[in-house]
Amino acid sequence: MLARADRGRLAGLLAPAYLWLTAAVFLPLSAMLWFAFLTDVPFGGREASLTLDNFARALTNPTYRILLGKSLELGLIVTALCALIGFPCALVLAKAIRGRAREALFLLVILPFWSNSLVRIFSWAIVLRGNGVLDSAVNWISPWPVDVNLMFSQSAIVIGLVHSYLPYMILTCYLALQGIDDALIEAARSLGAGPLRILWRLLIPLAAPGLIAGAVLIFVPVVGSFMEPRILGGRVGTYFGTVIEDQFIAVFNWPLGAALSFCLLAVVLVILAIAAPVLRRAA
Amino acid sequence: MRLTLTCALALLTAPALADEIRMLNWQGYGTDLPWAVAAFTAATGHTVVHDYFNSEQEMLTKLRTNPGAYDVVLINSAFTAQAQAEGLLAPIDPTLIANFADLDPSLAGNPDLSPGGALYGVPWTWGLTSFAVSTDVFAEPPTSLAVFWDPAYAGRVSIRDDALEAVQFAALATGQNINDITDLDAVRAKLAALMPQISAYWSSENDWNQFMAAGDFAIGTYWSGSAARSAAAGLPVAFVVPDEGAIGWLDGLSIPATSTHQAAAHAFIDWMIDPDFYVRWEPDGAPASANAAAAAALPETSFNRAVLGDPAVVARVQFMQPVSDEDREAYLALWQDLKAQQ
Amino acid sequence: MTLRIAGRLWLALVLFFLYAPILAMAAMSFNASPFYQLPFTFSTEWYVKLAGNAEILAASWQSVWIAVVVTVIATVLGTAASLAFFRYKFPGKRLLQALLFPPIAIPWLITGTAMLIFFFAIGIPRGAPAVIVGHVALAVPYVIVVVSARLAGFDPLLEEAARSLGATQWTITRRVTLPFLAPGVIAGGLFAFAVSFDQFVVSYFLAEPGDMTLPVLIYTAIRKGFTPEINAISTIIIVVSMLVMLLAARGFRFGGDR
Repeated sequence: MLARADRGRLAGLLAPAYLWLTAAVFLPLSAMLWFAFLTDVPFGGREASLTLDNFARALTNPTYRILLGKSLELGLIVTALCALIGFPCALVLAKAIRGRAREALFLLVILPFWSNSLVRIFSWAIVLRGNGVLDSAVNWISPWPVDVNLMFSQSAIVIGLVHSYLPYMILTCYLALQGIDDALIEAARSLGAGPLRILWRLLIPLAAPGLIAGAVLIFVPVVGSFMEPRILGGRVGTYFGTVIEDQFIAVFNWPLGAALSFCLLAVVLVILAIAAPVLRRAA
Repeated sequence: MRLTLTCALALLTAPALADEIRMLNWQGYGTDLPWAVAAFTAATGHTVVHDYFNSEQEMLTKLRTNPGAYDVVLINSAFTAQAQAEGLLAPIDPTLIANFADLDPSLAGNPDLSPGGALYGVPWTWGLTSFAVSTDVFAEPPTSLAVFWDPAYAGRVSIRDDALEAVQFAALATGQNINDITDLDAVRAKLAALMPQISAYWSSENDWNQFMAAGDFAIGTYWSGSAARSAAAGLPVAFVVPDEGAIGWLDGLSIPATSTHQAAAHAFIDWMIDPDFYVRWEPDGAPASANAAAAAALPETSFNRAVLGDPAVVARVQFMQPVSDEDREAYLALWQDLKAQQ
Repeated sequence: MTLRIAGRLWLALVLFFLYAPILAMAAMSFNASPFYQLPFTFSTEWYVKLAGNAEILAASWQSVWIAVVVTVIATVLGTAASLAFFRYKFPGKRLLQALLFPPIAIPWLITGTAMLIFFFAIGIPRGAPAVIVGHVALAVPYVIVVVSARLAGFDPLLEEAARSLGATQWTITRRVTLPFLAPGVIAGGLFAFAVSFDQFVVSYFLAEPGDMTLPVLIYTAIRKGFTPEINAISTIIIVVSMLVMLLAARGFRFGGDR
């Protein structure tokens, strides 16, 4: 058990953040969770009674199951790609580049983050569509005419999402890698370990917290995303996030929308709960 | 001229203090034009501040959760009864609106705007949801909805990502009454057959314009006012009202029950249906005006006069009526099922 | 040596990938067509229009100062909470950590709607303070995740050693922990800024009409009335941010060479 002085310090450190979160997020979301158990919203003169129907619908409707599966798959693909692309970048930044150049490059990686996400998505449309930037560039290089049109496909969605979320992974991995003492790597090298060995046995395990943090910050929002899929995916761009939003935008069915959201949250938490010890053990 | 009359009324009926009116509307839908607001302020002294919504459900939510925050709100006639039933609207006094007498009688008398017998929405604009085609692809605009299902245009078609609109569109295509759909299975089959033709859905005017400009589709459902706007901005599009008909909608201006500036609100509504405002707005891409005098004041060649002034066209239009929550959810489920299978 | 070259090449490719749409966005701000239509015709009309568009400029300024306030608050709160998780074991720790997920996992539309209803019910009016409250709440989980990841590489024995040498808790934090943590804190701050600056859904619900933030303005403009003035302001923001960041990197050694 903690000493009294420690308990005081603990409270002092935790309380501000969690009190804020409680007032601004947890209480409102609790209200939403309560709505999920009602037949209708309990304001505006509407009658509401308790029911499990919303959750039953959320769990048994085949359309929702298909879309949830699609969203989870999308989350995994995007997260995996971000890890594969981002980790080497972070490694190069953390270990192979020094001084001012490193800081400048690091900030350059972060900068696209600050562009408006909606404008970014439409900008990707300009790049990816037929007669777009990519098509024109490929045709300029290639000796024979090629038709490159990636728009309205799952590829476009993945590209758009990887682009939006890659800086998360690069950043978290960079933080973890940069904290690894160079002396450790030197020691391993002097003991005769090749670069692949160092990577696999030393760097990845030590950078695991960064990889996991990045994975979480990417997987979780991507599973609930709907804007990028809709604009970049066109006809094939319907995902779980879409049906949640529909309950708030197309109809006035907040209870069902809330039930769907919390089912999503539950599924994501379960996946993370299963994955975390596995990753930690591998590390 | 009318504005002076309005101004006089406003001065007589309200204290001499200038009010700040808050308007809730779609963005870029006429009421927030800088010159219009400036003219109103100059004439009456009242200032206008805007808030926007992106869906009718959102508009209703804003009304429910912000009492006293709005003085004039744009409500589609299919939603007026619902808002009134929830006690959100105040009855409107036509005597405070000088231009009211010039409104098209069929629109002013539309029962959806007067739930319970009293007037709750002043008809403001109306238009059609039909479709527009790229004139680069179509030398002659098509005359039938069947073009959407024509395999020659596979992957070059777009419809709006909206369950109600999709269902009503398919109802038109299957020859049904959009307000009384008896054969939902036929609608489902028709939409299922349409899906492979679609390259992407659009959900905002901006989507539509950018996709069309880039050639992502050649045929797309669209609203008449928006089509006028896009054509005015230079896109090579032609709006079509096919033989099967089109969906008509009527937008009304209403006053929330909790508004504290109702006199000024009436004055603003009067300005909005004034011909001086409408004639200047129309070339920028406005829908049709509910004010017959305003509509008559348009030049012969203007889009709204040419397309919507034609009685043969108007005869094919089916105006939207209120849709029950149950129907809305049924249509949404149908639409989501179809989208999920793509 | 080849590894080094391969590594740098990879980094260059990734940077190109990251900037491709940004460059496209900037290019469209100089294109005459209001619908992004190619072929490209050069024009500065959108920048000219932007200069006279008081609404967009006011919204941009609003976004910036709100984001700065949110960054400061969220970084302090989040770092403190991360330190607490790092230093102490206590019952309920897992639960508190799990509670960081709902704000990230649940779509912002739901959270925003919930906040709208809740704030309305308890009488918090819409406006900049409500927006700040909402943004901080959304940013704090990100700060905590990032700072905690950095802390995972910190040896707790270092704090122990300092304490055994007689240092007070505050001194330990200031001189032992924070220097190591600095890159994580800064990264958390950058995330918090990005979350706030790009946030449109929650802002949309909580902002006062007439006093919008830039993302909200863009979001509503997408419906009707979008022009490449939006590209122009986005390009300006990116360029200004780049300058600010490079100046900051010049004056402050971040990345902590050890």
